[in-house]
Amino acid sequence: MANIDKQHVIESNKLSGEQYFTSILQGAYANGLLCDSDMENIQLQCIQLLANICERYSGGESSSIRVEAAENIMKSNLYTIGLYLKSLPDVDFAANEIKKASVSEMYQKGRKLINVRLHSAKHIYNLVRKNKLFTPNYSYNSTINEGIGSFFKAYDPDYEAHETPASIDYQLCNPVTNMIGIEFILKYLENLFLENEFCRGFAPEDIHHMLYGYDKGYKDLLINIFEQVLTAALGCSLANRNVVELDISAEEIRHLHYELSEYDDCSLSLKLRKAAGKMLEELNADSLPLKRYIERSMPKIITNILHAVRMNTLNKTFISKALPDLKPRIRFLSGTKMHDEDYRKLIDELLMCRHSPDKLALIKEKVKSFGDLEDLLFDAQLSEEETDSVFDILEDVEIAALIRRHPFRTDIQAVDLSEGEMALRQYLKNYIDRLPKGKQEEIFEMADRLIDE
Amino acid sequence: MSFEIIGISSSLIEKQAITEIERCNEFTAEFGLALSPSDAAELVEARNIALKSNGRIEFGGGAIHKIIREFCDSPYISMHNYAETIHELTEMFYYYKNETLDLMSDDDLIKFMKNSFDGKCQGSLELLSGRELANMARNLRYGYPPDYSEDPMPDEEDEDGEY
Repeated sequence: MANIDKQHVIESNKLSGEQYFTSILQGAYANGLLCDSDMENIQLQCIQLLANICERYSGGESSSIRVEAAENIMKSNLYTIGLYLKSLPDVDFAANEIKKASVSEMYQKGRKLINVRLHSAKHIYNLVRKNKLFTPNYSYNSTINEGIGSFFKAYDPDYEAHETPASIDYQLCNPVTNMIGIEFILKYLENLFLENEFCRGFAPEDIHHMLYGYDKGYKDLLINIFEQVLTAALGCSLANRNVVELDISAEEIRHLHYELSEYDDCSLSLKLRKAAGKMLEELNADSLPLKRYIERSMPKIITNILHAVRMNTLNKTFISKALPDLKPRIRFLSGTKMHDEDYRKLIDELLMCRHSPDKLALIKEKVKSFGDLEDLLFDAQLSEEETDSVFDILEDVEIAALIRRHPFRTDIQAVDLSEGEMALRQYLKNYIDRLPKGKQEEIFEMADRLIDE
Repeated sequence: MSFEIIGISSSLIEKQAITEIERCNEFTAEFGLALSPSDAAELVEARNIALKSNGRIEFGGGAIHKIIREFCDSPYISMHNYAETIHELTEMFYYYKNETLDLMSDDDLIKFMKNSFDGKCQGSLELLSGRELANMARNLRYGYPPDYSEDPMPDEEDEDGEY
């Protein structure tokens, strides 16, 4: 049976969440609930309220203020009144309240509500910090630790109630839209809390391995962890694997693709919703707000999966875990550098030396550490051929270490590098390009596994 | 419905300001100064223009009556330059409210203007605006006291005319 909604004179879905008061006024005026004299009266009352608050703003020491400051205060006042009107049962009730109550009364009620909301936001923020996930993702950690924390220090409910002075980089699966100020933060924190609650049903290392499988550098990516975890859990549920472990193999994903590509959009969507129900049962997630949140997230996840099935990219949507810690690492030590004076003497000798074989012999004889060799490549003004012959005497691991320290496959623009650095990177690139393919791969893999100390 | 506040100029507020200025005649009469109703209306108009051009907004009577009250006993103001001087001082006042980044209260700024006008400027509005107020505003912006000066006044010549 379809929902029976009460019909309102003002259409609530057309109202702006950010400028609620003004949009109700416009709606009420358009529908004849408010006449011209009502509107003029409300405008005058708003100016009077602005005058009072501006006086408080300047501490009674200045009879005039800058227009920008007054406009900001006006926006803040209108936002505060809008917040109060939103708390009323429905739009018609709010329109009646505008007719009956004075602007100043509505402002006072809104101001009290802001205090209540601020208190709630602080409480939820503490809860979010308690159920925070253990993850290296930078945007997640910095948003929770510093980004939102700064809001509570900078938020000014008297003169800038509509502002959101927080640095929020971490994007939610269900972004908060049509809200500003304290309402935005409160909603953001509520959603984040639910996302954390869901993700805490999984072991942090399983989430880490799954995200590592998604991208090795996921700690620097602006991704939503909840969305990835929920999608992976759905994938496990579809493949009849243990949901909690988030473990689905590449073979199972291929099999899933064959299976799912036979469904049409509608039946696939139904199947995914059923899988979500099964997944929630398996996770014992019985919190109603969490279920609702997942329900709200499903359209986005379903669209992603549908798209992946049609585009044959399901292996990019359902992720197989990768185990980063099991790869053997190579610890590379540069050795102790020679004394500065000895190094200067060596460089002088190399600069005076005219024949390349003599230079190479000198380097072989005198240079005992990787650090010195690296410095020498910059200071000895070697030609490309001479640099190549130095590379020839190095072991693969030393070449790998050079690639790690002077990467030529990088996004750094040439203008950001010194001339010497640019030349060294170019010589290194040319040298590697001349090596056989197998050897190149071996060296690059070694460079990946290198722990440079 | 518009809540743009730059265009607010309620006739009620203007009338209130004109009455407030006219009421100042009661105490300026003692110094032989008075403003006619048309002078008062012109002053309010000038204040509105000054506010607009300086991007400021004022509620209520404003600062003009404070300026009149402070300056009415100045030896450099008489009936023939009274309206004109108050007019210029009002413009100057709003300009320097911005230039001082609102760091100075109305009363302190008017007092500073009066002291400089009667003292160092000896009744010159050009010196007041171009030198004293400009220096003071710069000092405030750079975190110095309002009367801070980088060049100390040269020592006065001694009786023999030697430094």
